[in-house]
Amino acid sequence: MSAPLLIVSGLQKRFGDRLLFDIEGLAIEEGHTYVLTGPNGSGKTTLLRILAGLESPQAGELRFRGDAIGEGAGRERLRRSIVYVHQHPYLFQTSLRHNLEYGLRCRGVPADERARRVDEAIAWAGLQAQQRTPPAKLSGGEKQRAALARVRALHPDLMLLDEPTSNLDREGRAQTLALLAQLRDEGRTVVVACHDQELIALEGVVRLWLEDGVIRKRSG
Amino acid sequence: MDLLEPTRRAFELLLAGDPRLLEAIWLSLWTSVVAIALIAPPSIALGFLLAKRHFPGQRVLVVLVQALLSFPTVVIGLLIYLMLSRRGPFGELELLFTPSAIISGYMMIALPILVVFTISAVQGADARVYETARCLGASRLHASLTTLWEVRFGVLAAVVNGFGRVVSEVGCAVMVGGNIEGLTRNIPTAIALETSKGDFAQGIALGLVLMVAALGVNIVLALLQGRGGLR
Repeated sequence: MSAPLLIVSGLQKRFGDRLLFDIEGLAIEEGHTYVLTGPNGSGKTTLLRILAGLESPQAGELRFRGDAIGEGAGRERLRRSIVYVHQHPYLFQTSLRHNLEYGLRCRGVPADERARRVDEAIAWAGLQAQQRTPPAKLSGGEKQRAALARVRALHPDLMLLDEPTSNLDREGRAQTLALLAQLRDEGRTVVVACHDQELIALEGVVRLWLEDGVIRKRSG
Repeated sequence: MDLLEPTRRAFELLLAGDPRLLEAIWLSLWTSVVAIALIAPPSIALGFLLAKRHFPGQRVLVVLVQALLSFPTVVIGLLIYLMLSRRGPFGELELLFTPSAIISGYMMIALPILVVFTISAVQGADARVYETARCLGASRLHASLTTLWEVRFGVLAAVVNGFGRVVSEVGCAVMVGGNIEGLTRNIPTAIALETSKGDFAQGIALGLVLMVAALGVNIVLALLQGRGGLR
């Protein structure tokens, strides 16, 4: 078995005197989908944001492919490998296509390869008809699918998704769930924070439960 | 007072291309454009920093910039005059009573407008813009530019307002430009002078040009805003 993609050890996060969590150990294996759940305020979003480098813990260590993640240049490089998607994803005020191209441009992907990847991601998310539509005119479900497609086009090592099915209507939720199942089937490494029972019940995922500052694996 | 006759003469002067009129118009436009072009990039960058970053003295700096908004332009003119006068620290440059002196004054006048409008635009931006850009792999600079692009109409409004303020400014231009015909006489100083001499036609003609310029710039801004989001 190969070494885990990401290892979390002794990770502590406090807000003032309140200990949000103290995660002794957690290993994220490559090619797996993890569904992280737990009560409101248990720290799911904060944990994802720490993994993404958007927040700092008070203590603990993160190792990515065996290397300790510090601050500075190493952390900057990891931004290209670990991508976080907000609960309510923001799409830039330009066309959907430009949104999908953004991260690829940041990575210096050549124009022809960029176009190929964007076309593929748009088809994957079923957004061909909306590719020149301004984001303001997209539905909640379409925005969520666009955000997933935008991340998938980047081929990141790890995708961190924060409540991707919340606040969606039935159709939007079903389409987003289908895309998440596809990501699982494609063998992408994904951590999804959610309360969605259908997502928690998805087959072939690793379930994590965060409560009272402690994270536990739960069996199917 | 009969306004019809001077207004008719004003249109005659404009249509005939009166050289004194054209000189003043040209000087006003190019000095304003150059001043805004020079001061806009650093002002927008400063506005962005003041809106997004927290550092010691940030609040003081914001209050200081806001206070500059209400500074009388004639006082700014006086300060620049003292700097550029023979005995001033930059006297050797011999810039006093030249278009360069006017540009310096315009830059000082436009700076707080550009900074304060940019702060307001950036603070009004969705908090997820910068973070989303960073999450997608943008450098800090690229994410900052993306944020500015997302609030481009607010930033553009800052530039338009800055331009509108300097192109119609009198006090500073008179102080440091000297209102010298053919060299530093621009639209507002010419209006003030001609009106004081009782030549209302010149004043009205130049006033019309100023109003058309202001209207034109704002129409362009409105058209751009109307196209927002489509690229």
